[in-house]
Amino acid sequence: MEAKRFVIIGIAVALVIAIAAPFLASSNPDGLESAFFSMYGAKPFMGSDLDEEAAAAAEEEVVAVTGNDFSHEPLMPDYSIPGMDKAGEVLAIVIGTLLMLGLVFAVAKVSARPDN
Amino acid sequence: MHIPDAFIPIGQALVYWVIALIFVALALRWARRSMGEEKVPLVAVLAAGIFAIQALNVPIPGGTSGHMVGAALAAIVLGSPYAGVFILTLVLLVQGVIFGDGGITVMGANIINMGVIGGFIGYYGYTAVRRLISNAYAAAFIAGWASLFISAILCAVELAIAGTFPLTVGLTMMGAYHAIIGLIEGGITAVALYLIASARPDILEHPLGVGA
Repeated sequence: MEAKRFVIIGIAVALVIAIAAPFLASSNPDGLESAFFSMYGAKPFMGSDLDEEAAAAAEEEVVAVTGNDFSHEPLMPDYSIPGMDKAGEVLAIVIGTLLMLGLVFAVAKVSARPDN
Repeated sequence: MHIPDAFIPIGQALVYWVIALIFVALALRWARRSMGEEKVPLVAVLAAGIFAIQALNVPIPGGTSGHMVGAALAAIVLGSPYAGVFILTLVLLVQGVIFGDGGITVMGANIINMGVIGGFIGYYGYTAVRRLISNAYAAAFIAGWASLFISAILCAVELAIAGTFPLTVGLTMMGAYHAIIGLIEGGITAVALYLIASARPDILEHPLGVGA
């Protein structure tokens, strides 16, 4: 397979995953969040019932433990676009994927070993 | 496994930033010395693919989910642990700043866990296992699994130092969940390596037929 074709297919695969992800992805807490909620009494370790109130309390409790109350307003929180539903999630992940492509291309270009 | 800001005190988070930046500098040195210009499109595509697949959380038992990290794959394909550091640093930067996935003050810890540990365990795990078994895909699976599992163990230790998790409970829970999530990491690493090797065997830094 020639190089250009390989890159185009790679980009296509990434975009297909990006578009499909909001429909296929599990909304369960990830391993770290799940461990955190279990330890702070918001969820059984091997169960799926998340107590939303206890989860919110846990998030406040941990700020009191570490004292790190830094927060910032991300443009697309949790891979979504505020005010938009599923379409916003698709758009957010597609934008992110294209942004990665451009950003990493640019950074890699300036930091790569020159050919000559 | 993206640590949010609240989980680590600022002082400790800064220490992780300093350590992470040392590895980022080493990754840039690797790029200048060993990442040829012809590799640039591949690096960009790998990063885009890793970003996309990180959004695909797979359900695991216990009302939990997990996703691939991808540093092991990047390190194996590009033939250096620093490739994992290079790509994951940029992925984590975009995820943290634009999407609020992983904190800003604690980004150094996330770079260490997923980029540095992922890249180093992925790469050296792969080369070590390949000395024992010749099947590159089995080696990629094992290295991918180990990279994710050890990242999670280190994460649990950092959160114990932070006072967020008790050490033993943290290690047990993080270890249990990520032993399963590691199967996702290992599986996708092996499949992606197979697809890349089938399409462009020449693109791999270390050809599969020759022991790495």
